[in-house]
Amino acid sequence: MKRKILWMLVSWLIVVAFVLTSCGGAVPGEQEEEEEEEEEEEEEEFMGFPRSETLYADMVTGRVTSAGNFNEWVGWKNRDRGMQQLMNESLWTSDFINGKGIAGLATGPAEYNEDFTQVTFNLREGVYWSDGVELTADDMVFTIELLRDTPGMNFNAEMQVVENAYAADRYTVVVELTESNSRFHTYFRDFWGCLWIMPKHVFELVEDPITFEYNPPLSLGPYVLHSYDPVGMWTAWVIRDDWERTPTGMLYGKPAPKYVVYRHIDDPSLRVIAMVRHELDSSFMPIEALRATMSANSYARGKRTEFPWAQAGAPTVNGHIFNCLKPPFDNVEVRWALTLAIDIVELLAISNDGGAGMSVLNYSNVPLYLELIYEPMEEWLVNFTLDIEVDGEPFHPYDTDAPARLIEYVEARGYPIPEDTDHVFGVGWWKYAPDVAARLLERNGFTQDKDGMWLLPDGTPWKIELLTDPVPGHDMYRSSFATSHEWRKFGIDAVSVPSEMAATLSSNGDFDVYPSRPILEPYGDHPDEYKQFNQLHSQYVEPVLGERTWGHACRWSDPRMDQVIADLKVTDWTDTDRLVELGIEGMKILVEEMPSTPLFTLLDLVSWDTYYWTNWPGEENAYQVPFHHWPNFKYLLPFLEATGR
Amino acid sequence: MRFIRRYLIPRLIQYVLVTSLGITVVFFIPRLLPVDPVERMVDIIQARGATIDPAATEETVRILREMYGLEEGLLKQYVSFWQRLFTGDFGPSIFAFPTPATELIGRALPWTVGLLSVTLVLSWIIGNITGGLVGYFGRSRILKIFDGIVMFVRPLPYYIAAMLIIIFFVYLLGVFPVGGGYAIGGRIAFTWSFVWDVLKHAFLPALSLMLLYVATNHQTMRLLVQSVKDEDYVRYAKIGGVKEGTIFTRYVMRTAILPQITALTMSFGYIFGGALITEMVFSYPGIGSLLYLAIVNSDYNLIMGITTISIVAIATGILIIDLLYPLVDPRIRLK
Amino acid sequence: MKTLRELFRDGRFRVGMAVFLVLVVLVLLTLFSPYDPTEWSVVPRDRPPSWEHLLGTTSMGRDVFWQMTFAVRNSLVFAAASAALSRVIAVTVGLIAGYRGGVVDRVLMLITDGILVIPLFLILVMLAMLVREHMNLVNMVLLFGIVSWPWGARLIRSQILSLREREFTYTAILSGVPARKLVFNEYFPFIIPLVLSTFINNMAWAMGMEITLAFLGLTNLVIPTLGAMIRWAVTYQAMLLGFWWWLFTPIAVAIATFVALYLVSVSISVYLDPRARLQRVGAR
Repeated sequence: MKRKILWMLVSWLIVVAFVLTSCGGAVPGEQEEEEEEEEEEEEEEFMGFPRSETLYADMVTGRVTSAGNFNEWVGWKNRDRGMQQLMNESLWTSDFINGKGIAGLATGPAEYNEDFTQVTFNLREGVYWSDGVELTADDMVFTIELLRDTPGMNFNAEMQVVENAYAADRYTVVVELTESNSRFHTYFRDFWGCLWIMPKHVFELVEDPITFEYNPPLSLGPYVLHSYDPVGMWTAWVIRDDWERTPTGMLYGKPAPKYVVYRHIDDPSLRVIAMVRHELDSSFMPIEALRATMSANSYARGKRTEFPWAQAGAPTVNGHIFNCLKPPFDNVEVRWALTLAIDIVELLAISNDGGAGMSVLNYSNVPLYLELIYEPMEEWLVNFTLDIEVDGEPFHPYDTDAPARLIEYVEARGYPIPEDTDHVFGVGWWKYAPDVAARLLERNGFTQDKDGMWLLPDGTPWKIELLTDPVPGHDMYRSSFATSHEWRKFGIDAVSVPSEMAATLSSNGDFDVYPSRPILEPYGDHPDEYKQFNQLHSQYVEPVLGERTWGHACRWSDPRMDQVIADLKVTDWTDTDRLVELGIEGMKILVEEMPSTPLFTLLDLVSWDTYYWTNWPGEENAYQVPFHHWPNFKYLLPFLEATGR
Repeated sequence: MRFIRRYLIPRLIQYVLVTSLGITVVFFIPRLLPVDPVERMVDIIQARGATIDPAATEETVRILREMYGLEEGLLKQYVSFWQRLFTGDFGPSIFAFPTPATELIGRALPWTVGLLSVTLVLSWIIGNITGGLVGYFGRSRILKIFDGIVMFVRPLPYYIAAMLIIIFFVYLLGVFPVGGGYAIGGRIAFTWSFVWDVLKHAFLPALSLMLLYVATNHQTMRLLVQSVKDEDYVRYAKIGGVKEGTIFTRYVMRTAILPQITALTMSFGYIFGGALITEMVFSYPGIGSLLYLAIVNSDYNLIMGITTISIVAIATGILIIDLLYPLVDPRIRLK
Repeated sequence: MKTLRELFRDGRFRVGMAVFLVLVVLVLLTLFSPYDPTEWSVVPRDRPPSWEHLLGTTSMGRDVFWQMTFAVRNSLVFAAASAALSRVIAVTVGLIAGYRGGVVDRVLMLITDGILVIPLFLILVMLAMLVREHMNLVNMVLLFGIVSWPWGARLIRSQILSLREREFTYTAILSGVPARKLVFNEYFPFIIPLVLSTFINNMAWAMGMEITLAFLGLTNLVIPTLGAMIRWAVTYQAMLLGFWWWLFTPIAVAIATFVALYLVSVSISVYLDPRARLQRVGAR
């Protein structure tokens, strides 16, 4: 008996041992990495990161899946693990706080010829790769050509428009295009991603650029890779000795932290605990987590020192998209009725506890847009009428009092009211007018049953399904629930359906309403709307529901919008007045047609721990984009101050 | 000889069939999901700030699908999957292209196997001992209280138990690290400092898992022992004057432990599915979260890689049980 | 009646049934709920327990007590139904395979093992994603029931296998007892403890799985269940913000339910154990 049990246990141990050793064999890369890291260390025994010189930030995109691969030009490589924030420098970087782009590798805007078939880029002199080789026009030319000629690399399809690229001199690149394209340079404009420049002297020696791991990577930014976790939980960067030979160094000075570590913490509760223990300096958290952190850690703060307006004024507007090819959403009056059935103040109370600013257009409430767009449009909005009469007068749906009502709610909740109310709460929204909405529906054949529930013109109960991304606590999830609550109050059987496949279903046209960005977000520091409107061009609309569309999920189009798009295409990037004019024209069309409804400016709650590092770009001192996952982070670091603990 | 022909070979054939069946099912299900992995990857790249040019996007997707061999018919993909499998290659992960799936798995697997196998074995030993003691010497007050505690601990939702542990040990006591498999900046090497580091980081996840496993083993073992201790041969031993302690170990526990060995063998197979919640809560590197990521992104190759290993492990476990159990329990005749 | 009186003698049974009674009362209370459990903002938020709101309110503006009644109802019904479905399949397959043997056994075991071998979690996650839009309680019952029978089937089969070789089987066959009578009259008492304990385990597993899937956001969080309540409480950081009532309620109820199930099942299986029955006969 005893022997037989022993038999079984032994055979088990054999199996387990076999499995373990085979796993050990399957990780040959580790040995190599150890050697590489030792080389980087220059045979110095690494004792860990000194806390007073290190900055810890978390990653938003999750665990790094290909930890040892830094080849940004193929697929997705988790560039927010420090690659775009510290290692890379782009020609231009968006800055929606200061309202204008930052010229990094470039020394000025791109120069186009008359018919936009030729672009000239001027590169900055004196920028060096981290291995001591200078950045020249050859690098950029090489990059463009390699991407154009290698199928499977990112931007390969976009670069097909390049006929010829050459270096006019050491720091000037000229690109000739096969067709007119006034926005070619935007591929190089960093707005959370863009086309990066490769080091020619490394990539020209590579046989297969698609499988090339580019490890260790070269930096154009002020930090180099120090070490990383092969399983993808953390990535550490150390400041370059020659940091002054980078655009960051030249423009802003020496970054304060010697080390920067990006780590992944999945659970928000754990981020709270980490920040309370001062192990995390900059983090993204949902509202409640921020509250919990601030109550337990007196050094913690959000962008604003009073809660909950820790919102960081991102350029993105959240709302919902209608499936304009699917009845009854193909009827513009139905879309308007649904909009009027929403009480925006209640919606914001439910979804964000009042901590988000309403946006009636697809522009967020950042200072640039408030000035350039909202102010000029105020009059038009106030005078805008719908084709329906109330008390003998055409109905004006715009409500300038909505922000005041929101402020009342916030006061009632006991939160302090900040001064710049336009920026925080928005300037207005559509009226809450369920009676007008009801009339709009009724005149299109809708009826109500005895319980007050709405019926479609064919007599069946009206049911709306709002798709939503599945992570509870996310903005879109919350706004989806809040929106469906509003519509249920109105008498429609509206329900929110979480799904991982929300993005796919919306692209396939397999949805009713999709809470998401109403159109692609604007830059925040530039009024150009070409990229955003282009998605709505009629040529991209896929008329068959169930087939994937490459244009916008709403599948709406309008010849007037097509004309705006065509006009934008031939307007120069620097012609701000004309761009604003066309942007406003496009917005007016969108307001009339309402294919998607903007609701509020997206929250991007960043929280900081001031225990080790202070002088963050809070609201009182907004010198830079405050996000540690944005490429602008390297421009922020020179301004931080160490507390010396 | 008869054994081999009559039993072993059919059993091995069954093993191969079952494994293939399982793998086939797992091959086809993800492809039923409407999420296309290439489109998903492109969507993510687009959503993360790169320019959206509708015409270019369509072209990019087409090219990538060709590269991944997704343009071929389903049957052809199935066949090439098996071909690749025999060279130990699961293909590149679609989401983490071009990293091969085996590499991703190989990085994460040792952590999972290490944590879970140690936890399982320890819990099995502890749980069986306590369960056996309570089941046999049920009168003792202390044992009854212990049993009561176990009864309340077992149904605790795992996430809550894990969070409570974290709050207590990390937040309040501050003795243990917040998460991760080893300290940030540490080097993976077989040095004492690294091993100690790993143990420190693995302690809390292991503790949270052991709470559940010990409780489960305890309750099962207790029931088994209680039913065995009333058997005739135990009564005869008592009458015969055999010492209490000897009866407990050599008569009761020996018999009661047999189903538990079966259970342990089975649970080893499930290690390869990883412990997702544990990994999420403790930021512990492992294949559970890798698998979840793969599912959410419809990364066919990665899903197949992890699941195939898992299926083979579980099937092997069952095979071992079936082959060895008749040797252990003489009452079962081989048909 | 005599059976019940016998059972009530067992302290464990008494405690278990008492808890069940409370749960049943809670379930019945759902008929009188003043609030719609799927609505947000029906009451003031984040209030601690008071006379008006016995167990406080949540950050979403719901009353915890009334939410809990619906959660108990849905979770219990769902768990019981899926466990029942699962047991029925398991017993059928296990009995037939174990007793018949031969080719029938081989084929059934092939199917059983084929399902057993696939990581359950994977299947559940993928299928949950697939049917997400239509995920309601009925579908969840089907999903969980269909996925979880293989383990029980195997256990029952091995029990039957071992019983088949016992002496009393040969005796019965030799005396001409028909197979069906043999199985039902003689085997069942041995199997029922097994079935009951696996039924309880399965209910516990189903509830636990539901909580896990809800935690990952894979179930339909609009339908109030214990898992959904816990998930929402976690999302709104109830633990760290000190809203203990919101988190404590579903957990306490879940634990109470599991413990009650356990006690009842243990006392029933002890009662039905033929050896214990003999002792009772002797004692009286």
